[in-house]
Amino acid sequence: MCDQTDDKTELIDALQTIPWFHELAPDHFNRLIELSCLQDLETGQELFREGDKEDCLFIVLEGRVAIEMRVPGRGKVRIYTAEPMDIVGWSSITPVVRQRTAGARAVLPSRVVCLNAQKLYNACEEDHDLGYVVFRRLANVVASRLLTTRLQLLDMFAHPAAKEG
Amino acid sequence: MTAYSPQQTAAISLVSPMLPFRAEILSVQPEAPLVSTYWMRFLDPELRTSYQFKPGQFNMLSIPGMGEAAISISSDSNDHQRVGHTVRFVGNVTNAISRLKAGDVIGVRGPFGTSWPLEDHHGKDIFIAAGGIGLPPLRPILYQVMAQRNNFGRVVVIYGARTPDDLQFTREYKAWEEAGIELIITVDRGDEKWTGLVGVVPLMFYRLRMDPRKSVVYTCGPEIMIRFVIFEALARRITPDQIYVSMERNMRCGLGLCGHCQLGPYFVCKDGPVFTYEQLQPYFNVEDL
Ligand SMILES: Cc1cc2nc3c(=O)[nH]c(=O)nc-3n(C[C@H](O)[C@H](O)[C@H](O)COP(=O)(O)OP(=O)(O)OC[C@H]3O[C@@H](n4cnc5c(N)ncnc54)[C@H](O)[C@@H]3O)c2cc1C
Ligand code: FES
Repeated sequence: MCDQTDDKTELIDALQTIPWFHELAPDHFNRLIELSCLQDLETGQELFREGDKEDCLFIVLEGRVAIEMRVPGRGKVRIYTAEPMDIVGWSSITPVVRQRTAGARAVLPSRVVCLNAQKLYNACEEDHDLGYVVFRRLANVVASRLLTTRLQLLDMFAHPAAKEG
Repeated sequence: MTAYSPQQTAAISLVSPMLPFRAEILSVQPEAPLVSTYWMRFLDPELRTSYQFKPGQFNMLSIPGMGEAAISISSDSNDHQRVGHTVRFVGNVTNAISRLKAGDVIGVRGPFGTSWPLEDHHGKDIFIAAGGIGLPPLRPILYQVMAQRNNFGRVVVIYGARTPDDLQFTREYKAWEEAGIELIITVDRGDEKWTGLVGVVPLMFYRLRMDPRKSVVYTCGPEIMIRFVIFEALARRITPDQIYVSMERNMRCGLGLCGHCQLGPYFVCKDGPVFTYEQLQPYFNVEDL
């Protein structure tokens, strides 16, 4: 997780570029500032690894972050790329404590907001109005990921012979 | 050899419309595993210069003893020296085509079908969503756009393939971008070397800002992809008459006579392959249609 800095101006400016943050009441916005920080990544730099503890939820601000899984015999397979405004690591604020099931790596120079998952979860528990905005956003993310996964599963571009075989 | 009347701009015999014209393969360009572009020209010198097609139309390619397959024309409609077809090898005819090389002769009938109505869309933003072998029927549009770029607003191509190796026409992307065409290239699964996008074509619409008053969508690819592209376009308030879809059905005559390619009340060979979603809407989600 990144270090907390005293100067929050850059962070506030960055958070204000995220459209759904505009739905937050000012005190909710301030609450999220307290538990967030910015992180810059170079090309190739890992954000997290498969098996890591899920301690952060990330919002990509700039660049591109690939989600990848190790598949025996096939190396690392990139299964999704997160672009600006995409959320990465959404399951970190679901109630079940997990470890990361995939890795994430910047494939372009990137900037992300890192939100402390435990603190965010607690804030949502304590204030359900905040929780509603956050979890509604997550439901949206999960829905679009599920659709992506379903279409990928259908393997719609597979060669007909391969499908039959 | 098929009788040809000099005024003709098509390789369709007026006397025996099922008889193909002969064309010589000039070269074969591998595009991706099991996909190649065949550049050819008619043996008849007059037909060679008079033959015309519109982007989105297809020819029936034939190999004696094997049969015919409908293959879209993937080349520039202003190139009168050669005609290109990009073929994925899936069955009898296409596998026989895969064995052809430069100098071999192939049968061609066409062009058939409707085209992308690009000339009606001057001044509009054109959003092209293609998947897999759905890009070749759209490539002639890109040639036209490049030749008259100022006639259009934004031109965006979203193209998806299964893996990076399956992407077609990769050597042309730079020229397309230099001509002011926005490219969004994505794959269903990437390897460690792939730094581009991973995700499915319909979901790429989330990255776009579209003005529904001046946008049209052209889409071609697997039918399931087309279905979700339509959902995403409709969600952005693009109206069904502004969404153009190229459909595939098994073909035989290409002439609207045999009924093989029927889709609801339409014959894909004659009334299509390019339809508006407005036309197809009642039949689109009907199983086995
Ligand atoms: C208007 C139109 C334009 C077309 N344009 C092109 C083009 O530009 N390039 C191109 O390669 N193909 C194109 N096709 C598809 C092509 O006509 C078919 O794939 C055709 O069936 C190939 O003939 P074949 O004898 O090789 O395969 P067949 O012997 O007819 O089929 C072999 C097997 O493959 C399956 N199969 C065939 N085609 C497909 C497919 N597309 N997807 C999934 N399974 C399939 C069949 O169900 C069968 O099991 C087009 C089709 C239409 C209607
Ligand atoms: S292929 Fe015969 S009617 Fe269309």
